[in-house]
Amino acid sequence: MKKLIFISLLALLLFGCGNNKKQVQEATSNEPTAQAVALTVDKLYENATDMVDKEIVVTGTVMHVCQEGGERCFLMGSNEDINIRVEAGEKIGAFSQELMGSNLEITGILKEVKTEAEAHNPGQHSSAGVGKTSPETENAHTVIAEAQEAAPVVYFIEGIKAKEL
Amino acid sequence: MKLRKLFRTLHRDLGYFIVGMTVVYGLSGILLNHRYDFNPDYQIYITEFEANLPGKVNSTGQEIKNMLEWLDSDVVYKKHYINNQGMLKVFIENGEVLINPETGKGTMHYLQRRPVFFEMNKLHRATLGTLWKWTSDGMAVILIFVAITGLVLLKGKRGFGHWGWWWTIAGIVIPLIFTLLYI
Repeated sequence: MKKLIFISLLALLLFGCGNNKKQVQEATSNEPTAQAVALTVDKLYENATDMVDKEIVVTGTVMHVCQEGGERCFLMGSNEDINIRVEAGEKIGAFSQELMGSNLEITGILKEVKTEAEAHNPGQHSSAGVGKTSPETENAHTVIAEAQEAAPVVYFIEGIKAKEL
Repeated sequence: MKLRKLFRTLHRDLGYFIVGMTVVYGLSGILLNHRYDFNPDYQIYITEFEANLPGKVNSTGQEIKNMLEWLDSDVVYKKHYINNQGMLKVFIENGEVLINPETGKGTMHYLQRRPVFFEMNKLHRATLGTLWKWTSDGMAVILIFVAITGLVLLKGKRGFGHWGWWWTIAGIVIPLIFTLLYI
């Protein structure tokens, strides 16, 4: 039994080291040879149609973090109506609530919402149960939902890397 | 039977091993069940106040910092903007402040991580990256193994065949009823 535990721990360590190397290599290989220009959210939207499915770097202020586990956040541009959803995904893991108001530099793939599964209505969080969201959260949900409804095309970012500026 | 003896040994030792994660999943599971009743990750402190902002709508960052200092010396200013409703929204470290610039009335929401539970919830949600994803998969497999081997440990009138299967069926029927009623 002790041997089994020892072998398991050893395997875990080896796997972990290997995995870390792989993540570092992935991060390195994903970095473009020339340093990518970090776009603001406003600039991103100006050129969004040309950047769909491409890796982009965008900076913005975190205006809302999903309260159910921080799986996504919303970066705002020059005002709160100009915002974009960023999915944390496996590589980033989750965004913490403490990031609210912080400037983030996000590296990720720009995607266009094409299916219901890709869409996200933040207001749906509290509709399922006895939701007790704060007025500020409800306001953020409203702003985001209105921005999405007004946009002819809705984009989001599949996050690869996040850096607090 | 040698297999029963092997299962007993593995159940015992893996059972000891998995106690920690079972407690993590159980406790964080309770908190996450109540995520619509309260925030499972943060304690939220709400303060209502009335402040005097000299600049009103055009308050500068320094004026807002001074106001925040008056409100609570530990509060650290990040940035601010005027939102669509004309309210002054101020981001602070670990929270946010919303102020009516005309009246000076505002509300501060300050977040404080729930010690231990914050970390447990993170482990439960598996938002710590790829390595934890696979590690927690392994832990879950061990938990399933411990559960199943527990069924075959005892012989006799309190064993699975005579006594245990009633309890096992009951434990399956209860969630099954909820599944059938609500899904």
